[in-house]
Amino acid sequence: MGLEFLARVRRTTLWTGAIAALTVATYGAPLHALAILLGVVWSLVNLRLIELLVVALTGPQRGGLRVLQRSAVAVGGMIALFAAGALLLSRLSPVWLLAGFSLPFAVLVLKAASSLVLESAIWKRLVASRWRAAGVVVVLVAGAWWAATAWSGSEATRGAGSARRATPLLASAESPAAPEPRAGETARHGEEEQGPQKFPNVITVLSRAFPDAPWARFLHEFEVVIFSILIAIILCVVAFVASRRPQMIPGPLQNGVEMVVEGLHDFVVGILGPRHGPRYVPFLGSLFIYILAMNLFGLIPFMDSPTSSLNVTVSLALVVFVFSQFIGFKELGFVGYFDHMMGTPRSLIGWILVPLMLPIHVMGELAKPISLSCRLFGNIFGEDMLLVAFATLGVSTLSFAHLPFGLPLQLPFMFLALLTSTLQALVFTVLSTIYILLMLPHDEHVHEGEAQHAH
Amino acid sequence: MDFHAALGIGLPIGIGIAAIGSGIGLGGIGNGAMQAIGRQPEATAKIQLNMIIIAALAEALTIYAFVTMFLLQGKIG
Repeated sequence: MGLEFLARVRRTTLWTGAIAALTVATYGAPLHALAILLGVVWSLVNLRLIELLVVALTGPQRGGLRVLQRSAVAVGGMIALFAAGALLLSRLSPVWLLAGFSLPFAVLVLKAASSLVLESAIWKRLVASRWRAAGVVVVLVAGAWWAATAWSGSEATRGAGSARRATPLLASAESPAAPEPRAGETARHGEEEQGPQKFPNVITVLSRAFPDAPWARFLHEFEVVIFSILIAIILCVVAFVASRRPQMIPGPLQNGVEMVVEGLHDFVVGILGPRHGPRYVPFLGSLFIYILAMNLFGLIPFMDSPTSSLNVTVSLALVVFVFSQFIGFKELGFVGYFDHMMGTPRSLIGWILVPLMLPIHVMGELAKPISLSCRLFGNIFGEDMLLVAFATLGVSTLSFAHLPFGLPLQLPFMFLALLTSTLQALVFTVLSTIYILLMLPHDEHVHEGEAQHAH
Repeated sequence: MDFHAALGIGLPIGIGIAAIGSGIGLGGIGNGAMQAIGRQPEATAKIQLNMIIIAALAEALTIYAFVTMFLLQGKIG
């Protein structure tokens, strides 16, 4: 509990502030997000200046010239800061600015409270056993869930009263129930006819069966998320079971998992080189396994592959994008990163070409996530559509006989789907690896040449 | 000609043209890679890896056309 605690508060506040600003920018107005961000920055700078002043005045060598200088800087900075704050208050909405301003204090209080709770004897006793800790987590999550539903319920009733903030979800919940289930079902059906149809999965079947139940609607809306979380859980369980009791002579499961991990390790290290490679194996390897599992999940009857939705692929690609930019900043440094973005100018011609190279590099960086996500989505979605088209054809060839099944015309294409699923997972991983490689310092010239050819 | 008909005719043809282009590209990539493997069989793994990457880049163009078709398909009516 000291300056180090304050530094942690600053870091946490920056993260939460950025996340809050992004959330508000997505679901609200961008100007409010800007206000929150500026409020956070204002408050942080203010805290920092106060800290400087206090340290300078109470530090070990008080009375020196440097201390005087520092406190003068702090006081002058605070005056400038208050002027800036007055300007901000007159320009941006004060409520959001104030929300951003109070965020560091909220973080401070919560951090202090949680450190008190974490050191108390009750908490230690609670987390001593694994099962008791899991029980605590379940209770906490259930409480948060209940509070969130209660809050959104009261929000909905208030929204009905003022009829002002009727979002589409609430509006559909508020609308008078359909006179008979049949009408609701046809309306839902017509709504779904808009886009191309997919194979039915568990969740669409459930939401067809219970068209008016709120939980079924919830499941239907978060279908993709639920499937991807399900796959993640399955992968976690497999990894946990396989590595729980490692043996010298491995059983079949441990053997298989070890083979996969070793192959991925060799693969990534082969591209990134032995110096940088091993650090990025966990990220890239789990990316490959996760994408492969998601691609193949659609081939199981009554399941859906989450990667056939653009949301999932875009989020995966964004993760890779942010990670590679982060690595660029970390490995090259701030100056080195911009040097890299300017095409590492070392001669006069290089410097002349900077206005041309900088936009090209920035566009190239931005095009990477787009091409990654669209490629994965297009392939997996196209594969699903192909299967659906041939299954429909198979049903319609036997339609004269009025049988409950059709010719399995899609079977040969399922083997094609196996191939494309694996290939696309591989391509996604390889391209992510190459993007990371391009961000690493180019001390291995062989690999640099390879990467340049790949583009 | 209203735009429904224009889309109905244009989208499949557009995909076909994109497929022709990336088909030519993939043929060239496969040709080069197979020749390289034939000349230097010990470098097969590296050549195959790079071949897959470049093939993915070439194939992406068709996928873009495909995605565009799905985006506009709802407007055919």
